[in-house]
Order: sequence, then C-alpha cells, then structure tokens
Amino acid sequence: MADFGLDCRGLVCPEPVIRTKRALAEGRKSLQITVDNETARDNVSRFARTSGCEVDVSEIEGGFVLSVTRAGSAADESAAVQAHEKRAPRSGSVILVTADEIGKGRRELGTTLMKSFLYACVEADEVPATMIFMNSGVRLVTEDDETIAHVKTLEERGVDIIACGTCLDYYGLKERLASGRVGNMYEIQTMLISADNLVAL
Amino acid sequence: MTDSIRLTSYSRRAGCAAKVGPGDLQDILSRLPEESRPELLSSTRNGEDAGVYLLSEGLAMVQTVDFFGPMVDDPYSFGQIAAANALSDIYAMGGKPLTSLNVVAYPCELELDIIESMLRGGYDKVHEAGAVVVGGHTVHDEELKYGMAVTGVVDPARMTTIDGARPGDLLVLTKPIGTGILATALKADFISEKEIGEAIESMCALNAGAAGVLSRHEVSACTDVTGFGLAGHLFEMLRAGNVSAELWADEVPLLEHALEMASMGMVPEGQFRNRRYVIGAELPMNDDRDDLLVACIYDPQTSGGLLAAIGAGQADAAVEELHGGGAPRAAVIGKVTPRSEKLLRVRHERND
Repeated sequence: MADFGLDCRGLVCPEPVIRTKRALAEGRKSLQITVDNETARDNVSRFARTSGCEVDVSEIEGGFVLSVTRAGSAADESAAVQAHEKRAPRSGSVILVTADEIGKGRRELGTTLMKSFLYACVEADEVPATMIFMNSGVRLVTEDDETIAHVKTLEERGVDIIACGTCLDYYGLKERLASGRVGNMYEIQTMLISADNLVAL
Repeated sequence: MTDSIRLTSYSRRAGCAAKVGPGDLQDILSRLPEESRPELLSSTRNGEDAGVYLLSEGLAMVQTVDFFGPMVDDPYSFGQIAAANALSDIYAMGGKPLTSLNVVAYPCELELDIIESMLRGGYDKVHEAGAVVVGGHTVHDEELKYGMAVTGVVDPARMTTIDGARPGDLLVLTKPIGTGILATALKADFISEKEIGEAIESMCALNAGAAGVLSRHEVSACTDVTGFGLAGHLFEMLRAGNVSAELWADEVPLLEHALEMASMGMVPEGQFRNRRYVIGAELPMNDDRDDLLVACIYDPQTSGGLLAAIGAGQADAAVEELHGGGAPRAAVIGKVTPRSEKLLRVRHERND
C-alpha cells in the first residue's frame, strides 16, 4: 500500500516530475501518482527508474496510476534525489502575512508578487516553522486556488499554517478555509513574541 | 535585480515546444483556401519553411515569421535565439535575409530594461546576418513572447525546397539536438543555465554559415529542424519528396546532458505530439537507452540546425567543410531510400 498519494492530473510537464522528486526527497518509500497524459506517465516513470525506484503503471479512465516504490536502501543514496534534498522546517522561524499582496503599489503587481513568493517558498530547500495569515491575507488560504495549492504543499512539508479567526469571520470566509487551522489573537501574539526569526509581509 | 528575474517563469511552454502540433495544424490548413498563382513558388501545403514569391526574373522574395516564449532566463540570449530561429527559415530556403520586424508580447510587470536587453539580442543577431530591423509590433500579454517576421531574397534557380530528396542521398544535420529537453530541465531547476551553455550557444548560432557551405554542394532538399523535432521535420521532407529514409540514431549529434536529462523525466509534452504525427515509423525499442534516444529524435527543437539531403558522393566532404564553417557538430545521420511502406526506419549504426 502506497504511503503517499500524488494527484498530478491537470499538470503540465515537468511539474509531475518535480512533485514526484519532492515526495521522494521527503523520504516517502512508496508513492501512488495519478497523471492524465502519456508524457507525464513516461517522464515520471523515467525519473523514478533513474532514481532507483520500481515503477508499475496501470491505466485508468482518463489517465494512468503509477505505483513507485523504492527498490531498497541503496536507492536512498540516489544522486537524483539527494541533489535537491529538502530540509525540515526551520524551527523558530515565523512568516506573518497581513495582506493578499506584497507591498504598496499597483494591485496587479502586488498579488503577482505574493503568488510568486508562496511558490518560491514551496520550491525553497528550507521552509519556515509557522506561517500566519491575517487580514486580507486569509484570502490566500480560502479564495485563490493557486495560492491554496502552494500553502497546502507547505503544510505537507510540515509548516504550521494558521489563519486568523477574527479575519475569517470578518470576511465571511471561515467555511472556506482550505489549508491550515484557525488561530486566535492570544496564540498568534505568543508565536510572534517567541519567534527567533520573524518575517512580516 | 535583473539576475533574479526568471524569464522562463513568464512562459508555460518553452520555445518551439509551444508550436501547435503538426497534425492539428494540417487539419486546420486543409480547410482553408490553398493559395496558388504563377508568382507563388512555394507550396502552402507541404510544410515549406518560408513563402517564396517571384518578383522578377532571377529574383524572388522569401518571407517567414516565428515567435515564442522564453526557454532561457537571460533576456539577451533569449533575444538572440528568437532572432536566429526566425532567420533560419530564410537560410533553409537558400535565401539571404534583408529586413526584419520585431513581434513582441509582454506582461506589464516585466521591467523595461529586460525588454530592451531582449530586443538588443535580436538586433545584434539580425545585424550579424547582414540584415536590418525596420520596425515591429508590441502588445501586452500574460506571457512573454518574442520573435520576428523576416523578409529576404533568393534566386529561384538556387532555391532549396523541402521536396527534392532522392533515393541514395545522404542526410546531413548541422546542429546537435536536445534543446527541448534541456529547456524543460532548466525550467524545472534540474540543471543550471551554465550547464546548458552548449545548447544556448547552439540556439544563438545563425544557420548562415551552414547554408553557405551547403550552397556549394549538391543539395536536393533542405529544411530547418524546429518544433516538430528531427523526426517530424525529416518526415515532412520524406512525404514531400515521396521517398523513405533510414535514420542512424548513434550518428545523430546530441547536446551535452540531453540524454541524462531525458532519463530524469525532462521530456517536453511536444515530443509526444511529434511522435503521434510521424505515422508508421520503425523505432528501436530494446532498452531504456533506446527510449531516451527516441525521445531526443522527437524532441521539439528551438533554433535547430539545417537538415539537408545531399548527393552521396558529396555528403562527407560537405560535413568536413561544415565543421570549419560554423557548424562544428554537423554529421551524416542517415540516407534516403526509395519509397516503401514505412517512411522512416530508425536503426543504430551507419549503413551507407
């Protein structure tokens, strides 16, 4: 039984391979990857085999399911996976996000910057221990599918995602929280005060 | 600041990998009027590289347009590649480029000095080709795109078309392949821009030198290798000439790291489209290495080399001359055979 499922349907190459690599780098021993096109099927298979895994492909309606299993301890040394090893969250580091855009200026630029910042966090070798979303920042974990996907990935990598409860209530978004958990002001205040490394956006 | 901009993040598909699949394109074109008049020397139906229109005796105009999204992060390199790629169609017809028009689409958030640097790359390439930039057109778009419409001239008697390959000719390719795979790997951060230096240099290189050498030999058909991949463009040449061919995979020059990155799953989506397009090819499929070689042969190329069918007696001499004439990795990669059931047979070793 696979210990991790990856749904890569709707993703354009090389994204399915990038996600497979990330999952293997996190130490997953067996993956079940769903793809919806032949290019992704072939590429994920090639990558997994080169990384020392065994691959079993089965066809399903509208796509393929790939069962990827590490062939043994030797595979853990695989250069392919080691080259881009992702580390555990950096303890004591907190990122506070207080808006759905970065900086003051044209809104179009601000929201683009926020999206690319979250994507950069996903791609980075090191992620923060905690990310707190306040004020219009809660939109990033409720309304925008693209940023939700990034935050979910960060959550999978062990980042504690907290959305401000008062803010969710104010915007009427509590029901739509797609990633992380609700936090109150006492908890948030404690985290900000005790952070070794605080980045506020 | 410029260093930290990732130009490739402004495009979903890189370079000629974004080209519409050859099958789909033919479908659309078949329902549109087929142009024909005495002055029109090129066909719009058999995948010719550029349009050729007779102006007066001994003088025809050659026209082409090509544009795409960035496959590298450095804007100056991207500009050079886009221009070299557009100019290439003129060289594939045996012509000489004269004027070009910039075609630009860019997202508002992109800094203007990046656009300037990209255009400078384009200008420099056009000047290297001995042509001039006479204007252009710019629009805003979500994805960055750049290219050129190029006009040149050719003597109709010396024009090289896609349809003249004869059984017995040898096939010569003037640049190594694998740019689609390497651009995908760059986008995925599996490789650095520095490590794909050979590919960038190759994409920036004009096909002018190679075209000059080929013009001194008996070339019966010529095209340039871009989005449809080596196999796709060869297939078009064979179909247009009603001949078949043998491709010698071990002789095909590959860019450094191309096979390695293919084995890491960095084969672009366009490769599969190209594979479906080339109907009835016979491929070696014995092991993983064959799978990777085949992936390279169908890999969509950006600013690829010229593919020429040359009289057998002259091919090796032409390749030697190409090595000293701006195409250091040119090679004989196959031979044209009489038309048989299979248009394309891929084997490993050379077999004259």
